[in-house]
Amino acid sequence: MEKRRPTAWMREEYEKLVAADLDWKLRVLQGPSAPRSIVDGRSVIMLCSNNYLNLSNHARIKDAAKRAVDTHGAGSGSVRPIAGNMNLHEELERRIARFKRREAALFYVSGFAGNAGLIPQLVGEGDAIFTDELNHGSIIDGVRLTKAFRFIYRHNDAADLERALKEADPKFTKLLIVSDGVFSMDGDIAPVDQIAKLGEEYGAMVFIDDAHGEGVLGDGGRGVASHFHVEEKIHVELGTFSKALGVVGGYVAGSNDLRNYALNKSRTWLLSGSHPPAVTAACIAAIDVLETEPWHVERLWENTRYYKKELVSLGFDVGNSATPITPVMCGEASVAKRLSERLFDLGVFALPIVFPMVARDKARIRTIMNAGLSREDLDEALNAFERAGKAVGLLK
Amino acid sequence: MARIGFLVNPVAGLGGRVGLKGTDGVADEAVRRGATPVAPAKAAEMLRALAAKPQARLLTWLTCSGPMGEDALNAAGLGHDVVYRCQPPTTEEDTRKACRAFLGRGVDLIVFVGGDGTARDIASIVGSVVPIVGVPSGVKMHSAVFGLHPESVAAILADFVGGHTATVDAEILDLDEDKYREGEWVVRLYATAKTLHEPTLIQTGKLMFEAATEEDARDGIAEYLLEEMDQAPDTLYLLGPGGTLHRVKQRFGAGGTLLGIDAAKGKTLVAADLDEAAILRLLDAHPVAKLVLSPIGAQGFILGRGNLELSPAVLRRIGLRNVVVVATPDKLRHTPDLRVDTGDLELDREFAQKEYLFVVQGYREMKVHPIRG
Repeated sequence: MEKRRPTAWMREEYEKLVAADLDWKLRVLQGPSAPRSIVDGRSVIMLCSNNYLNLSNHARIKDAAKRAVDTHGAGSGSVRPIAGNMNLHEELERRIARFKRREAALFYVSGFAGNAGLIPQLVGEGDAIFTDELNHGSIIDGVRLTKAFRFIYRHNDAADLERALKEADPKFTKLLIVSDGVFSMDGDIAPVDQIAKLGEEYGAMVFIDDAHGEGVLGDGGRGVASHFHVEEKIHVELGTFSKALGVVGGYVAGSNDLRNYALNKSRTWLLSGSHPPAVTAACIAAIDVLETEPWHVERLWENTRYYKKELVSLGFDVGNSATPITPVMCGEASVAKRLSERLFDLGVFALPIVFPMVARDKARIRTIMNAGLSREDLDEALNAFERAGKAVGLLK
Repeated sequence: MARIGFLVNPVAGLGGRVGLKGTDGVADEAVRRGATPVAPAKAAEMLRALAAKPQARLLTWLTCSGPMGEDALNAAGLGHDVVYRCQPPTTEEDTRKACRAFLGRGVDLIVFVGGDGTARDIASIVGSVVPIVGVPSGVKMHSAVFGLHPESVAAILADFVGGHTATVDAEILDLDEDKYREGEWVVRLYATAKTLHEPTLIQTGKLMFEAATEEDARDGIAEYLLEEMDQAPDTLYLLGPGGTLHRVKQRFGAGGTLLGIDAAKGKTLVAADLDEAAILRLLDAHPVAKLVLSPIGAQGFILGRGNLELSPAVLRRIGLRNVVVVATPDKLRHTPDLRVDTGDLELDREFAQKEYLFVVQGYREMKVHPIRG
């Protein structure tokens, strides 16, 4: 028998992806992620980072990170439950809770780790979970780890959710509704008010992943629950520091009971090394900035309104986004890819999103607005969109 | 280069315009009644749409002479090899012979222009060896191998070239036309074949995609049903036809049927390939029963197509609330509505009044899905 080649399959799988044009081609950022960045050696206007408020370059946040290295070192030395629980971690969690106007919070390695670690601990055998069909992959993975029964409801359709709740109500013990707050492909907002109301009516736990609403929606960027004034009805608010807050790390905010339970049960929390001091201090400083410098969020929305209005008046279709995530609809995948290439040549970095990530006729360029872009930057980007749009036949 | 066997059934669809509900065996009669061919125009439409796409250059065409393919490819300006010569007027025997010729030349895919009858003839020769895709041009198109319209077949072919399609099982259904002309509406499930399918690999939220394969999804459904059976050892489970439920039936060992209705209890096969009378006898012996169905064919029918053994009398005995519907997520996404046609208007209405059914689409995974009569 021929000797087994244990890893030959890896190259075969990879080559299949390449042949189908489904492999990731990584671009390299040379320097900070900023409104104007150097990508693959070119200076470009950045329109596809999640750095909504440009806090990743904020002087106070960078300083806090540097100081923490001096006072606390480069790493934490352990997982939180053993010897890696620093005063910085505890302070950050108190600050998150205060900012979110909740009793308590728990800081995770990432938002993904929050979803994948906590969801499977909230429900189990004999329970039911209700999940939007377009929920983020980290929710899907969290849901897969439970023995609970899964009801998949139609995207943003509260009536469909209620049908499922009604069906499940008499049969299951605990009920858990999970939804993204803002959906990152289309930038549409979940009907969190209706979800909260249904949760109340059926006695279900409500879990909202607000990765893209944090720092963007609500009072002072407090997120989607604040946007709908339903904080007290959301039992788990999951957020992340990797997007608008400009650093990295996930968290859940809610009651003391939630924190106590989650920190004793979430394996992704218990078994991951804790964040290094620099990251943790930078997250605290990011909250400081949000609490004391309201203009970043205001600026983000001013930019968003201007940018969307101008894109529409140029003749682009920006879908049904209600947030700074602004898809520029292209139809065919080839159009989206060509538009993205033209834009890059013209100094604008915006990636195409094509089938199979979105339906075949819904290929698009997904752009994300940034508070750090000046009016001149926006005009330059819009000008590039106009020229590239005409070049690929999307505009007349 | 992908090798496509291309076949036009020139008489497909002839019966429709002249009220024959099909053309199987009655093409002459249709022509006498003044029918004009529809297949050539559908073929031209698909090829025109395809020729406009860059992927068209990456296809090699093998076809049949004259009206069975050659004429259409010539008109579209697409080069080809004729591998089978027919003598018009053509019959189903020509379709079968052409398919043998395609298999002999090692085609990757067969594209045909026709209806359910043509699909049946092709499937009888190629089985699951080569996937087939139909340009809808017949009177009846119940089978799950048809594109929605000629352009969508062109789009599927372009995707096929790019490696973006998956191969999935598809039911071949056809009206029993002899019975129909005697006034009886019987759509039978004749076979399963393979077809191409644009997988919905959507994983929005992040730039990440993944394909949960059809096989995995079926395994998940099977796992769930077996668990249910385990917990209800006194309940009789009637399992309908089709590939999804075949996966469950295979778990019982030998004897389960792909096309028939089988019965199981406590995870053991009790009887296979049941007719109406046998089902009713079983129900006499087993007061508690559940009926598990999967949508069949392209149109989402869970009852009335391919499972006529499940008569209104059977359904009333089992009770609507004991009907369990299963479907893989992929199939469900391509099935806008579930439909029933039980032959009993009152029963159809009772189903339609539910408006929604809960469909099992994986292990302990349900989706709310609309239903209409």
